[in-house]
Amino acid sequence: MPINAATSALNLSFSPATTTGFVIPQSRSFTVTVNPVVLFSILDHYLRRQENQDRVIGTLLGVRSEDGSEVEVRNCFPVPHNETQDQVAVDMEYHHNMFELHKKVNPKELIVGWYATGANLNQWNALIQDFYSKAVLPFQAIHLTMDTALKNDEKLLGVKTYVSAPIGISGKPENCLFLPVPCDVKYFNAERSGLDLLASAMNEPSRTTSLISDMDNLEKAILTVQEMLERVADYVNKVLEGSVPANNTIGRFLMDTISVVPKIDKAEFEKMFNSHLQDLLMVVYLANMTRTQLAIAERLQLLV
Amino acid sequence: MASTAPATNSKDGLANLSLNVTAALDIEGTIPLESVQLDGLVVLKIIKHCREAFPATVSGQLLGLDISGVLEVTNCFPFPSSKSDDENELDVAKYQVEMMRCLREINVDHNPVGWYQSTYLGSFLTPNLIKTQYFYQQTFNNKSVVIIHDVSRSTHGNISLRAFRFTPSFMEVQKEGKFTNESLQKNKLTFSNMFEELPITIKNSHLVTALLHSLNEYEPLPTKALDKDKVEVPLTPNFDMLELSLDPYIEKNLELLLDSVEEFGQEQSNLAFWQRSYAREQTKIQQYMQKRKQENQSRQAAGLEPLPEEDINKLFKLPPEPSKLDSLLITSQINNYCKQLNQYAGPTLGKLFVVGELQK
Repeated sequence: MPINAATSALNLSFSPATTTGFVIPQSRSFTVTVNPVVLFSILDHYLRRQENQDRVIGTLLGVRSEDGSEVEVRNCFPVPHNETQDQVAVDMEYHHNMFELHKKVNPKELIVGWYATGANLNQWNALIQDFYSKAVLPFQAIHLTMDTALKNDEKLLGVKTYVSAPIGISGKPENCLFLPVPCDVKYFNAERSGLDLLASAMNEPSRTTSLISDMDNLEKAILTVQEMLERVADYVNKVLEGSVPANNTIGRFLMDTISVVPKIDKAEFEKMFNSHLQDLLMVVYLANMTRTQLAIAERLQLLV
Repeated sequence: MASTAPATNSKDGLANLSLNVTAALDIEGTIPLESVQLDGLVVLKIIKHCREAFPATVSGQLLGLDISGVLEVTNCFPFPSSKSDDENELDVAKYQVEMMRCLREINVDHNPVGWYQSTYLGSFLTPNLIKTQYFYQQTFNNKSVVIIHDVSRSTHGNISLRAFRFTPSFMEVQKEGKFTNESLQKNKLTFSNMFEELPITIKNSHLVTALLHSLNEYEPLPTKALDKDKVEVPLTPNFDMLELSLDPYIEKNLELLLDSVEEFGQEQSNLAFWQRSYAREQTKIQQYMQKRKQENQSRQAAGLEPLPEEDINKLFKLPPEPSKLDSLLITSQINNYCKQLNQYAGPTLGKLFVVGELQK
């Protein structure tokens, strides 16, 4: 990658494995956002790996901004590969087929990089990275790793993203430097509710959950708000008593929140409230009426 | 659901007898479906596909297995959105075969168990859906469902996923292919028993549970949180449900309801027209018959051969009875809208009163 020549020269002394903990200043800000569905797919792929396979790899699809500095990973698909002590084989044909198929559904999603499970980077990563770099020219390929073995200190599924830079005077494909780049999980409003639902199964021993009705959902939301209000009230009281030092940031936040509450004249509000209520009750009444009519029609049909 | 289970079983007594034996090993596939279990991945994939294509409706294939009455959906893939008709259909078929082949290679359950479709405010009951679902249920021995995902409702903070399949009586009528009064009577089919809804549960794998916990560990930093445009941290509490702009949803719903009622009115006038023309033809036939009888009587009196009476069917053609399928669908749809309004009204009333209390 010519754009990063300066940076890579600077870090020549680091071997790929040791760079993992560093955040190397990039010549340009480079951000990666990942859609949760990608992480879920990777985990599913890992669960369905071959018996004797330690890790799995696959292609990441997504969109990037015009200058290539912001990448949004939206989708991915697995690619079968075979890895031994002294060689690695990736099913290229499969990769191409699958990409063609995905293109039919969503032509906007392009190859942006690849993923692998396991926290360690080894010499094969560099080779595969070389292949993907060629596929996404003139941009940089992203490499995303997920620590499915949970071997790290925090015992989390560490998601890390890297870009690569060539290393050495004569650029050999197996020599490259992986530079960590910041990575965020990002989702859309519609996905939010889905993720919330999945998260509700998080603490269940059976790992299952069922859909809840709108009413229950509302109750949950109100309870959460109540709890938050209590926490804030508790904190404010403590600050007033002097048992907790005041935090300006939090104070400013609270101020912001309170100023958002609209001030409405009482009579005005009464009017709005009542008209809304009437509208709603009317709609409900009419809807019930229609349903009753339908039910009667149904009975009549069966009687004839 | 309980009432339909014996109905499907009693169709073949043999299966009923050996039910206990095969309950553990569902070799024959005789145990009827009772619920649908979705993998977390499937839920997210469906949401992603439907959201990206919104407001167009899209569909896709569900893959999985059925195990003793529970349909486990473990993966899915989207169908390319349809552009033109004929060649596209061929394309989709090819795409499906290719995709299944590819997925088999990476150990995904490659057994189709149904399909999903996105919808807008619950307006999913279309002739197309009927056609596709009928095809699925016929091919896969009644063990196939259609999952309906309502994008517009999911943005209100509560995801809307529903699993449907046809009841045996609807399958029977659809098989005969005629939706006349008579056949509807015979199978006791009305709008409320066309579909049955199956309960949906959602299951996460262990690794996914670990991932969710990892996402939850993300601590928001105060400096970061000050910036309001920043992406939200995963799994912070969701307050979409407390949104107070209630009118657009109800408005849209009522609009759709009105449209349906109008369509229904049209169906009714169609039916009335048919009835009138049917009655007219009937009287014509009767008149003709009477005339023929008189003629024959007079011919008999004159000692001549009576004229044949069989050719009435050739002379008069009774107008065919219009299919009741459309009106069934429309009634079902109207019922659906009304239900939705009612469902929505409950929490909305609650919200209104909460706001009322807050203002005091």
